[in-house]
Amino acid sequence: MTKINFIACPECDLLLNPARPLLGEKVHCPRCGYLLQRPRKQSIERTFALSIAGFILIFPANLMPLIGIKMLGNSKDGTLWSGVISLFEEHMWGIAILVFLSSILFPLLNIILSLLISTSLFFNKPNRYLANWMRLLQHMDEWAMLEVYMLGMIVACVKLASTSELKFGFGLYAFVALLIITGMLASSLDKVLFWRYINQLKK
Amino acid sequence: MTITSLGVGEPHTIVGGILSLIHAGMVPIAMLVLVASILVPLLKLLGISLLLLNVHYRWQGHAKKWTVLYRIIAFVGRWSMLDIFMISILVALVDMGRVAQVIAGPAATAFAAVVVLTMFAAKNFDPRLIWDNQR
Ligand SMILES: [Zn+2]
Repeated sequence: MTKINFIACPECDLLLNPARPLLGEKVHCPRCGYLLQRPRKQSIERTFALSIAGFILIFPANLMPLIGIKMLGNSKDGTLWSGVISLFEEHMWGIAILVFLSSILFPLLNIILSLLISTSLFFNKPNRYLANWMRLLQHMDEWAMLEVYMLGMIVACVKLASTSELKFGFGLYAFVALLIITGMLASSLDKVLFWRYINQLKK
Repeated sequence: MTITSLGVGEPHTIVGGILSLIHAGMVPIAMLVLVASILVPLLKLLGISLLLLNVHYRWQGHAKKWTVLYRIIAFVGRWSMLDIFMISILVALVDMGRVAQVIAGPAATAFAAVVVLTMFAAKNFDPRLIWDNQR
């Protein structure tokens, strides 16, 4: 029996012969235009390095004050967590959980999973959970919303600027750096390449 | 949400927040909030409905354009969380007892539910259906 190697476009199910694009090339589905693969230079090494950097940055970004305000003689610092805690105290459970998941837990899991996967691939260490981790990472991508949080922070600052004095904490710099790192992480991770390596490691 | 300043509380709605930004001369930021919290959720619901009609009645042609619509809907959904994050930041920062306080109101939960449900709706729509129906 001859083995036929086809791939199906994830968006329109068209059967395609898998291409092996070179660096700098993009592979689009000829029917619906879906971006199938875009090879990245040293994808595994970069993902490995970036996820270590992200893992380090996540601590100051979470624990140190992002913005502080001074209003009528009172001052207050806000961290990523303080919004969640205040919402809990006001019994807004739903929103508190949503904010916690999308600004704290999912970004953290995202980086931990990238770190775990790229570590195994970098050191050629097979792991039976690799495929599960990869699948989880792909599902969670969308629910980590650091960049939206950043925009929310800007709008909040604009609203507060007229009535109070704002100061930016060290946590904010760590947060912005983390935002950039997660963006680079998403673009350095070549999914097709990662899946291929995961398959090879299994054998 | 309710903003209390020096003991005087007044409830703020999304629309009210946009209007007060415009009054303060922050038109670009006001537009941002308008797009993220009102236009995007509305257009998203409209877009998903159109996609479902397309698939249900097997409209022919323009499959590529429908796929693009699906991609836009899937991409923009998360940006509606902007208002929720803004509330969480204001609630945390403006908490000075009687001097000034921000309390999230029930509409915040409803709005968050809209955002999350439409994100799930977009995620569960299978764009392959558009192509399956083409003859
Ligand atoms: Zn396709």
